[in-house]
Amino acid sequence: MTLPMKKLSLTVNDKAIDPVDVPEGMMMQDFLHEYLNLTGSRLGCGQGICHACTVVVEKDDGTLDEVRTCITGAHWFEGKKVRTVEGHAKRDASGAIAELSPVQQAFIENFAFQCGYCTPGFVTGVTVFMDQLKRKPVAKADLEQAITDALDKHICRCTGYVRYHQAVRDLVLKTPGLVKA
Amino acid sequence: MTLRRLLWGVAILAVLGVIVAGSIFAGLFEKSVVAKDIDQPLSADQMKTLAERGAYVAVAADCYACHTAKGGAAWAGGLPLQTPFGTIYSSNISPDKDNGIGNWTRADFHHALRDGIGKGGRHLYPAMPYASYRQMTPEDVDAVYAYLMTREPMKVANKKNELAFPFNIRQSLTFWNLVNLPGVKPANDPARSEVWNRGHYLADALAHCGECHTPRNLMQGMEQSKYLQGTLIEGIVAPDITKDGLTRMGFDVPLLASFMKSGISAQGAMTNQMFDVVHFSTQYMTDDDMKALSAYLFDLDAVPGQQAKPTVPKPVDVAPEVAASAQGTYTNLCSGCHGVEGQGIPHVVVPLATNASLRINDARNFVHTVLHGISAQRFPGLERMQPMPAFEDKLTDQQMADLANWARATWGGQQPDVKPEDVAKVRKGG
Repeated sequence: MTLPMKKLSLTVNDKAIDPVDVPEGMMMQDFLHEYLNLTGSRLGCGQGICHACTVVVEKDDGTLDEVRTCITGAHWFEGKKVRTVEGHAKRDASGAIAELSPVQQAFIENFAFQCGYCTPGFVTGVTVFMDQLKRKPVAKADLEQAITDALDKHICRCTGYVRYHQAVRDLVLKTPGLVKA
Repeated sequence: MTLRRLLWGVAILAVLGVIVAGSIFAGLFEKSVVAKDIDQPLSADQMKTLAERGAYVAVAADCYACHTAKGGAAWAGGLPLQTPFGTIYSSNISPDKDNGIGNWTRADFHHALRDGIGKGGRHLYPAMPYASYRQMTPEDVDAVYAYLMTREPMKVANKKNELAFPFNIRQSLTFWNLVNLPGVKPANDPARSEVWNRGHYLADALAHCGECHTPRNLMQGMEQSKYLQGTLIEGIVAPDITKDGLTRMGFDVPLLASFMKSGISAQGAMTNQMFDVVHFSTQYMTDDDMKALSAYLFDLDAVPGQQAKPTVPKPVDVAPEVAASAQGTYTNLCSGCHGVEGQGIPHVVVPLATNASLRINDARNFVHTVLHGISAQRFPGLERMQPMPAFEDKLTDQQMADLANWARATWGGQQPDVKPEDVAKVRKGG
């Protein structure tokens, strides 16, 4: 059996991917794992519930969006700019990690995760949340609810979310311009 | 001389008009269907016996769904009901003496349910389906009354309705009642079976199906000439549930009965107001009642042992560019859950290949669902449905129209007549 193929080109972690033949119905999750060897985005439920598989999509207007790769076809990302969990930290010339992103660093400092399976999704979700706050700061009194609303959809089975929540609150409060007085 | 006569004529007509209108307003034309003997109170023993049966009658009449706000106290009302005239809040019907019906007599309750006139002659709004409950038997009304009086009194004040003038004048409902309130139909049609008659009573009196599924006239009365033929309600199509409509959606009697009990079938999952109907009412109805209701809706005297399976709709051709656009969208955004062939995932995602929203005449429900999504739902037993994501930010009006046209033509046998402007309307909540 031959799967119908289609050319796909996109940008992943600032790297342009040349047009490559990808089966028409392949989900983005499989494309990242099998074609690009980017295995950080986790396959959890496979039904778009747990959000362990999400990646950041940078839209034309520069705003960030969180997209589930387990239920979204690879070809939906044609021409789009994608950031996976492997693309958040700064790297040196050899490709080794030189500095974690502020979100990743906050998670480490707060011992936010245990097994780490859901963490790529949380990194994605919080990165998008921070971008939204940068554009539309939230009142301090509303911050707790805003964090819950933004991350409620992410499922974690080890930590009970408390330390993730703590990490996000710390990061938002110490980042200038995200909270209104 | 002629002019003078004409003026006199007009004046007399005007006076007569005012007298007639005044008489209607005063309620002189209202006809109660409550018998005189209902004034006699029920004994404590009668109340006790009736209350047990009343629990079931109240479930079949789905009282709780409207008389309990989401997250609110049981039977204390407060659920907002959107109408073309403003927002009406359901009332507290717990037996609290200050806020509920604790001081209501048996006769007060009968007049409310069957005449639409509450204690002290206060008219109810027809958001309360008294036009349907009018057909309830006095015994069933007694049973519900007795049952409600056993509930815990809730000290919850009634919310004020938000209705514009003149709809905020309750007495003006005398005009509505004059035109829209039916007389009492004979309880049984002797030409039909017991099953059919029971189904008829369930559909029209208790479950009040027509209140949502029968189109309404300008005065918001049910248009009996279009009985159960489906209509738009709060932005969603309550589909045609006549025999023809149900068959088009792919139902037969046993399938419909099981759908009303479980909320899930190959036709999809119950959503919006019908989800509440299953959740609070039909799942608890007896198998016999459910079969009777289904048989009646199919206009059958008995549940058929063997019924011909509804035919699968014949696919309709769509333009190649529409198919290309839609197939791309479907593969990338839908197939991950609903499957490449629209087969769905049992117990997780509903199939689309047999989905009722693609088979009904109006594409609105499909478009609405794709754009706005559906939140997670818990169905009877262990069945759960995951949330359906909203795709309003991922699809243009054109892409959505293409998807609707292709999916409805392919799986629903419907003509591809959805236009981007139709999508734009649903997107804006219109």
